Amino acid sequence: MTIIANLPEAEWTEKGGALWMSCAGKSVREVAKAMIDVGARFITITAHELPEQKGFRLEYHWDLDGRVLGFTFETSGSSVESIYDLCPAVDWIEREVFEGFAIEFTGRDYKPLQLRSGETPGVNLREEVAR
Amino acid sequence: MTYKIPMGPYHPGLEEPYKLDMICEGETIVDTEINIGFNFRNIEHLAETRNYVQVIALMERVCGICSFIHTLTLCQAMEKVDGHNPPPRARYIRTIMGELERLHSHVLWAGIACKLIGFKTMFMTCFALREKVMDILQAISGNRVNYSMNCVGGVNRDIEDPAAILKMVEVLEAEMAHTIIPVLTTSSTARSRCAGVGVLTKEQALASAVVGPTARASGVAQDIRKAAPYAAYDELDFDVPVQEAGDVRARLLVRALEIMESCKILRQALAKLPPGEIIDGDGKFNFLKPASEIGTSRVEAPRGEVFYSVTWQERMRNPKRLHVRTPSYVNIPAVRWMMLGNRLADAPLIQASVDPCYSCTDR
Repeated sequence: MTIIANLPEAEWTEKGGALWMSCAGKSVREVAKAMIDVGARFITITAHELPEQKGFRLEYHWDLDGRVLGFTFETSGSSVESIYDLCPAVDWIEREVFEGFAIEFTGRDYKPLQLRSGETPGVNLREEVAR
Repeated sequence: MTYKIPMGPYHPGLEEPYKLDMICEGETIVDTEINIGFNFRNIEHLAETRNYVQVIALMERVCGICSFIHTLTLCQAMEKVDGHNPPPRARYIRTIMGELERLHSHVLWAGIACKLIGFKTMFMTCFALREKVMDILQAISGNRVNYSMNCVGGVNRDIEDPAAILKMVEVLEAEMAHTIIPVLTTSSTARSRCAGVGVLTKEQALASAVVGPTARASGVAQDIRKAAPYAAYDELDFDVPVQEAGDVRARLLVRALEIMESCKILRQALAKLPPGEIIDGDGKFNFLKPASEIGTSRVEAPRGEVFYSVTWQERMRNPKRLHVRTPSYVNIPAVRWMMLGNRLADAPLIQASVDPCYSCTDR
């Protein structure tokens, strides 16, 4: 695939229905730009909270010719670079991840998406979910 | 001078809550703000507290129209985690249920579109026809909204008399061909209200990553059933209708043609339904020794691609993380581009032309 040729230093692993790229040393914007350059379509971002409050892992999912491509980024803090200016399709999901996990995407402005006034970001980090 | 016209959040043309703020100059829309979240349930977070059986019932309730599709996508993702492989008969039953759901969703949308165009007799005709699709779904599953058909490794219920279902599909196809399709494709009323209205160009469709009929009406020939076949789609012959105009009429035509393609798929699937088991193993999720820690799956829902990601966690009966990306979530933001430069009076029809589902969007 073209994306593999474009990122020769990346390692690819097939796992659970997606082709995952390890992109150590690359920024999220560099990898996103490589995806856009080969014509991949953005699907979504899945955010995970790491155990023992060590930060977060973000999984970016893309589609290229019917294949799901994924790459992950871990952040020890609570901010990561936004790719909204590169890919307008990420607008809502970046806002949703911010509201759900209180992860700030730097370099863009926010408007509330799912939360109503008075709610604070981080609703997915709450423990008191109905059981 | 510009002024803002609010539409919603209560029943903005459809019986679900969301809000559009249209910035107008005279009668012309120059910008649109889209507000969602009125139905926000944080169902993904709730899913992390449910075990692998309960989570299927929970995710079936993300959407009242494509409830089968949600559990299908979820079960396919879970099958990638635990290594189950549904038998051929189950894959065909999943295809049949998926296409029936597409039919009833598209006919429902056609009825709402007719109502918004001002064609109220046709609205009633569409809903009468939709009832017949619901009758078939009920005959197969025993339910009309939440079918409880999918489980890990297959389906819960068999189609015991495919010939009877095939007869019902043939009657339905003839009625579609004689009533709904001519109105949607040839009526001058539909043409005058829809042609050239709410255009989304191919470049805008690609930039906003829209999916399903919304993308295909803008010339983006993308359909998960063809691009990444699941269930039994790789064994069936069907076409993917694509239109280039990107307007409301193109979205109308794509869905009308898809209704006929769905009937074609249903006839083939019912005729070729293979014998055998409908479930692989005991239908229980193996959370002790998974094949993969993460499973992703995509399905072509009536409104476009649904994506699920399921993450397993050791020694736990519930998923660590479950994420769902619904088609309306990516299609609704494109309404902003569709509205630009259009008349305020066309706003209800334009926003409805993406077949928005707010329940899916808010989750």
